[in-house]
Amino acid sequence: MRKELLTMPMHCLFAWGVLACAVGLLQGAALASTADHSQFKGLQQDFKSGSAVTKICLECHTKAAGEVMASKHWSWEWPDPHSKKMLGKQNVLTSFSLGIQSNNPVCSVCHVGYGWKDNNFDFTAQENVDCLVCHDTTGTYRKQSGMAGHPPVVAMEFPPGSGNVVKPVDLKEVAQNVGKSSRDNCGACHFYGGGGDGVKHGDLDSSLAAPEKDVDVHMNALGLDFSCTECHKTTRHQVAGSRYALTATDVHGALMRGSKDDRNPSTCQACHGNASHKLARLNRHADKLACQTCHIPQYARGGIATKLTWDWSAAGRKDKDGQPLVEKDANGHVVYDAKKGSFTYGENMVPDYFWFNGKVDHLTVSDKIDPTNSVPLNRFYGSPADGASRIWPFKVMRATQPYDKVHMTMLKAHTTGNDEDSYGKSFDWHKAVTRGMQDAGKPFSGQMGFVETEMSWPITHMVAPKEQALSCVACHGAESRLAKVPGIHLPGHHAHGWLDKLGWGLAWLTLLGVIVHGAGRAFTSRKGARK
Amino acid sequence: MSERIYVFPLFERFWHWAQAILIMLLLVTGFEAHGTYRLLGFERAVDTHTAGAWALIGLWVFAIFWHFTTGEWKQYIPTLQKVDAMIKYYVFGIFTNAPHPFRLTRLHKHNPLQRLAYLGVMLFIGPLLWFTGWLYIFYGYWAAWGWEQYLSLQWISFFHTTGAFLMLLFLIVHVYLITTGHTVLSHFKAMITGWEEVD
Amino acid sequence: MKSHFSILSGITLGLLALSFAGEAADGDWKRGRVYYRFVCTDCHKGGSSEIPPNSRSMAEWKAYFQADKHEKGKTSLKYYVSKAFRESIKAKNQAAAKFIDVPEDQLMKDIEAFAIRGAKDGDAPATCN
Ligand code: HEC
Ligand code: HEM
Repeated sequence: MRKELLTMPMHCLFAWGVLACAVGLLQGAALASTADHSQFKGLQQDFKSGSAVTKICLECHTKAAGEVMASKHWSWEWPDPHSKKMLGKQNVLTSFSLGIQSNNPVCSVCHVGYGWKDNNFDFTAQENVDCLVCHDTTGTYRKQSGMAGHPPVVAMEFPPGSGNVVKPVDLKEVAQNVGKSSRDNCGACHFYGGGGDGVKHGDLDSSLAAPEKDVDVHMNALGLDFSCTECHKTTRHQVAGSRYALTATDVHGALMRGSKDDRNPSTCQACHGNASHKLARLNRHADKLACQTCHIPQYARGGIATKLTWDWSAAGRKDKDGQPLVEKDANGHVVYDAKKGSFTYGENMVPDYFWFNGKVDHLTVSDKIDPTNSVPLNRFYGSPADGASRIWPFKVMRATQPYDKVHMTMLKAHTTGNDEDSYGKSFDWHKAVTRGMQDAGKPFSGQMGFVETEMSWPITHMVAPKEQALSCVACHGAESRLAKVPGIHLPGHHAHGWLDKLGWGLAWLTLLGVIVHGAGRAFTSRKGARK
Repeated sequence: MSERIYVFPLFERFWHWAQAILIMLLLVTGFEAHGTYRLLGFERAVDTHTAGAWALIGLWVFAIFWHFTTGEWKQYIPTLQKVDAMIKYYVFGIFTNAPHPFRLTRLHKHNPLQRLAYLGVMLFIGPLLWFTGWLYIFYGYWAAWGWEQYLSLQWISFFHTTGAFLMLLFLIVHVYLITTGHTVLSHFKAMITGWEEVD
Repeated sequence: MKSHFSILSGITLGLLALSFAGEAADGDWKRGRVYYRFVCTDCHKGGSSEIPPNSRSMAEWKAYFQADKHEKGKTSLKYYVSKAFRESIKAKNQAAAKFIDVPEDQLMKDIEAFAIRGAKDGDAPATCN
């Protein structure tokens, strides 16, 4: 864009800079870089692979790949300091996918790397880092599901024999137009978690790419227009504000951007401080409530539904011609897919509310379960009494998924791909699970069943304009959103059953008493008058 | 033959009516905050209740001051004398036109039952509401003040509500007993003009 | 000194104009997206009147922008992108207000870039969400 820069007389630079800034502001363009990548010789070539681009990036950005490799975006692992368990995408269980390892070619579409198709992936090769997926500004860069994280570079049929033609990505064009990560970059994966738009989180979907104010005040395309990194402040490619290490309660004031502090910069309080309401009474509610609880009145508000239930045990139905069934509802949502099971969806959902103190536990395939109850795939700890908890909003995802009847563990399964072990091809759970556990390096007894699970997803995006925050009666009314939350007394909701009965009973009796007394007086005084 | 005595000076009348209005307001808004019905909306009810509560407290402070500077507090010194006669009167005498057992004078303007009732309101129900109401208002500061371990909102709410019911009972009986004067309206008029008609 | 300054500003302004001209070569699809979603869609709302970018192919969109016969020629897209139009709705349309100073050609390019990107055979087929 600013090609003229290089040919400009030096003394012009300053005036130009000032004007350019002004113009930049006017245009709302976020191109504040002083480097025009299209000018770089190294990027003026027809790239044959993503890795070829990465090698050129690393010639100047020598430390970048190393930084990326130190992040969860690369390792998909996260050592939990509390439980000492190794968590991260590779190890935790969800209802949306039955394990990474045997499904890598598909899952890796959202890995910041190239070529992670099986356990032989080289996590130390710097050229395997994908710079473009986070730094593309053209909106044309795409990784192809099933290609282990590679972008298509020539037009091709994918999967082979499917008749589905995949367009190539112009890597040269993309490479010459790199820039800061925008919501579109992060959203390319985080909006589509769980296999589709809005499926997983409930508060993250493509409506946040250019949302209206009602959907999200911070990302409002016509207002603040925050990028993700505005809150998820990123230094050395380490993105702050992870779901593995949440800050449930932030009692500090606003955090100066740029200050040296290991506080989580992505809490509400990190910008708003702890007393931003005009009404003191509302500020004081913050000793029990997370900001999100009132300020995100519903999730999935952008017109995109999120999945609420997923029954893997229902998978496998075929139509009368023996073809796997796929069924859609009136809104075009797939509600049944023979390869995956049945689903339900919801929009504008009222969250569930739980006490949460920042401690989260995630189930892995090594953990024992109790299949007689619904199995919590993750657990958010908290209590009204520990002083560290706040009431938070959650989406609760409910599912039915495979477990090992002998080892009493959850199971991973190979559900994707075109091979005979894949459930989507063979419709044989035994094969799929055997392969899934084998690739995960975990034992499988050979006996599986299905168990109900539930998983909580904290709701923190889609903050509504303040006029739409919950009103008092949402919790203090007869019907209260917090009715099931223990350890709180809500005036207006929690009346005192017997005290009320006694009080009103006495009041009515007294009223009756004085009426009778008065009637008696009226009666006798008339008699008296006649006498 | 009836005569008139001046029993209620201006301040007392002002105090009484302001208090009456505030208490009714507090009852109405309080029970809305309690969740018994919807009238103003929870938020407005709470705001009004809190404002009304502060006003009532202010009024009480003045009233206490007034009672002590004028010596009127002596009107409430409890006595059991003639209490039985009063009860007998309300249960029987009042229906047979028996004479009122208590003669109201400038120095003794409340009958013994009244004295006890008002003293109860001022020494028990009032402070109960006042005290628990304050704890309620400053709920958000309990933690900072280190009170949290000793208090629970649930119990504060319980006692405050109990106070509110007691106040409601008092109010019903009080309003009724107003009609038992020389004529149905004479007590009421007295509280407006200051002059009470007596037999 | 004075003349020096005016020459300087002259050059700068010239470059500024140039930069716009140069920029108009590439549409900024993100700005186009916002204009499309918040201005065009203001009329094209609800049911059958919705025109999601993925309802047409890239070639169809190119041709549509080329011909500029909005509403079968009754009006023109140029008008709905023009400064005058933006000026007339800016009081109630924040997107028009936000982009009030973007040159018309540029904005048209932006919208086209978004439509083409979101076309059914485009790089990122886009619905009305
Ligand atoms: C003032 C309202 C209004 C605005 C603003 C508007 N349109 Fe339209 N548009 C219409 C109407 C009316 C039609 C005709 C609909 C029909 O024939 O059913 C139409 C039709 C269309 C069609 C269908 C083909 C045609 O031309 O009949 C396209 C495509 C379209 N508009 C694109 C746009 C784009 C792009 C913008 C923004 C730059 C835009 N419109 C802004 C009112 C508007
Ligand atoms: C005649 C006097 C009063 C009556 C009849 C009354 C009645 C009530 C009632 C019924 C409630 C609902 C209780 C619950 O559900 O928990 C309430 C709440 C409350 N009252 Fe009173 N009250 C009176 C005086 C006061 C006073 C003097 C104060 C302050 C010093 C006060 C402060 C409050 C507060 C803060 C609440 C809680 C409102 C909320 O936050 O929900 N009240 N009152």
